[in-house]
Amino acid sequence: MNIVPQLILNSIIAGSIIAFLAVSFNLIYGATRFFNMAHGTIAIFGGYIAFFFFKTLGWNMYLSAILGILAAGLLGYIFDRIIYLPLRKRKASGMIMLVASIGVFTALQSLIQIFFTSEFQTLSDISVHDRLYTIFGATITQTQIYILIMAFIVAICLIIFLKYTIFGKAVKAISDDEEVAKIVGINTNKIIGLSFFIGSGIAAIGGIAVGFDTGLNPTMGMKLLLHGISAAIIGGVGSVYGAFIGAFVLTFVANFSIFWISGEWQEAVAFVLLIIFLIFRPRGIIKR
Amino acid sequence: MNYTVYYIVHLLTMFSIYAILGVSLNLVVGYTGLVSVTQAAFYGIGAYATALIAKTAGFGFFSSMLIGVIVAGLIGLLIGLVLSKFRDDYYVIVTVGFNIIAYGIFMNWHSLTRGPLGIVAVPRPKIDFLGLHLDFNNNLLFLALVLVFLALIYFLARFIAKSSFGRVLKAIREDEKAIQVFGYNAFYFKLAIFVISAGMAAVAGSFFASYLRFTSPNTFVLMESVLILSMIILGGLANLKGSLLGAFILVLLPELMRFVGFPNEIAAEMRQIVYGVILVLLMIYKPSGIMGEYKL
Repeated sequence: MNIVPQLILNSIIAGSIIAFLAVSFNLIYGATRFFNMAHGTIAIFGGYIAFFFFKTLGWNMYLSAILGILAAGLLGYIFDRIIYLPLRKRKASGMIMLVASIGVFTALQSLIQIFFTSEFQTLSDISVHDRLYTIFGATITQTQIYILIMAFIVAICLIIFLKYTIFGKAVKAISDDEEVAKIVGINTNKIIGLSFFIGSGIAAIGGIAVGFDTGLNPTMGMKLLLHGISAAIIGGVGSVYGAFIGAFVLTFVANFSIFWISGEWQEAVAFVLLIIFLIFRPRGIIKR
Repeated sequence: MNYTVYYIVHLLTMFSIYAILGVSLNLVVGYTGLVSVTQAAFYGIGAYATALIAKTAGFGFFSSMLIGVIVAGLIGLLIGLVLSKFRDDYYVIVTVGFNIIAYGIFMNWHSLTRGPLGIVAVPRPKIDFLGLHLDFNNNLLFLALVLVFLALIYFLARFIAKSSFGRVLKAIREDEKAIQVFGYNAFYFKLAIFVISAGMAAVAGSFFASYLRFTSPNTFVLMESVLILSMIILGGLANLKGSLLGAFILVLLPELMRFVGFPNEIAAEMRQIVYGVILVLLMIYKPSGIMGEYKL
């Protein structure tokens, strides 16, 4: 049996999920210039909120997903207001912001563990059979097709949004030089707050997608984030377009590595790829 | 021993193990200014190396520990070489990655580590020397031994910090380019301190495995590295007494919460939440910690 078509399909699906994280990580990084270590856990938080409304309360699936996205976006925004904004006002270094975000990650992950336990929770409905499609001998579920389409729509919308709106131009100005942006009259704190909201919301789509695809687990956030950051770096930090490409490069390499090493080392393979990129091409595929 | 004494001895032993970890990490984060979040990986390497060698090769505790330190040092050397290419955010993310990979190895290399089952019946140290017979199955004696090693490591770290070597490290932290102009090769200094720190963390790992007579991957997760980092930031970076204080506070804190009456499974999570909140509050209000001489 030829497994190549299935591997390609798996890579595309995993890539779509990582793309949500990579793209949104780059959006926030572009505005704030620090590595937000809580980003992956915020994505998972969105997934769990959707899980709560959909599974625990039995609400409509689409409504639950939207609530999950909004809740994560709001949480990202709140963290910016109560933690990162005061730090920016004190002119804190990037490392201080990063360590603070590690604190946020620690607390948030444990909070999720208290409310939802550390067991795997799945968003997909086991009683309703997911429709399967076959392409060149590879199978894909209907849910996975939705995830794939969503990833493309979100990435395209975000790229257009950043390119043609005042918001996008303001983010670019802030990422070039926050002080100058402030001087020319950009309300930098408002723009950064907004990018936290949008970025966390997009990450949550990734979290919800994971919930439908493989199931949620509180510690998964950091792994998702590492993949997201790897993809963002491979594509080119700060570039939304690059992050999208990087996500697929990463998952294709990780998936196809099973020809050489067994599956449980995919994590390590993805990480080695990141290090190779960091050493030999630190600015990524798409230079900014 | 009655229960209260047993309990206090246990807490002091855990404090000593974390104090060793804190002191070792402070050399890297506080003195050299490299924010490493992978100390739990070396802690784990020390624990596994000691457990495996003492059990399978039948070596004594101290020679197993020495081999553990060497193994951790060598792996630290390799990781340090990779890390020498990076700084700031990238440095952190690469160390986080290493911790996750190390955990993956403890978990997935079944033939060596027995995966999630862990390694059981790790022996305690024994001394049979010049008519001296000490059996460290007694927890009180074991505590004394860990304290001796904590003191050794503490004074070694203090010696390093106060030596000319330590002054170069601080200079690298403040301005790496400037110190290179003076002819110091920052690369070797950073690498050396990283290896030393890895070796010290392995000592803590050896004691941990031997103390519990058991080691499993779940002790060496990323959160453990975050905890050690929290300890030294709380106590104060670039201050070794601060690391002792930080370890003391963060080891005792969860016990206090237990007395307040949280059920056990929630208490573990509450503890993490408190660590996280402490880290955030420190960053906002007092990034230099209680007695720090350097802030990020």
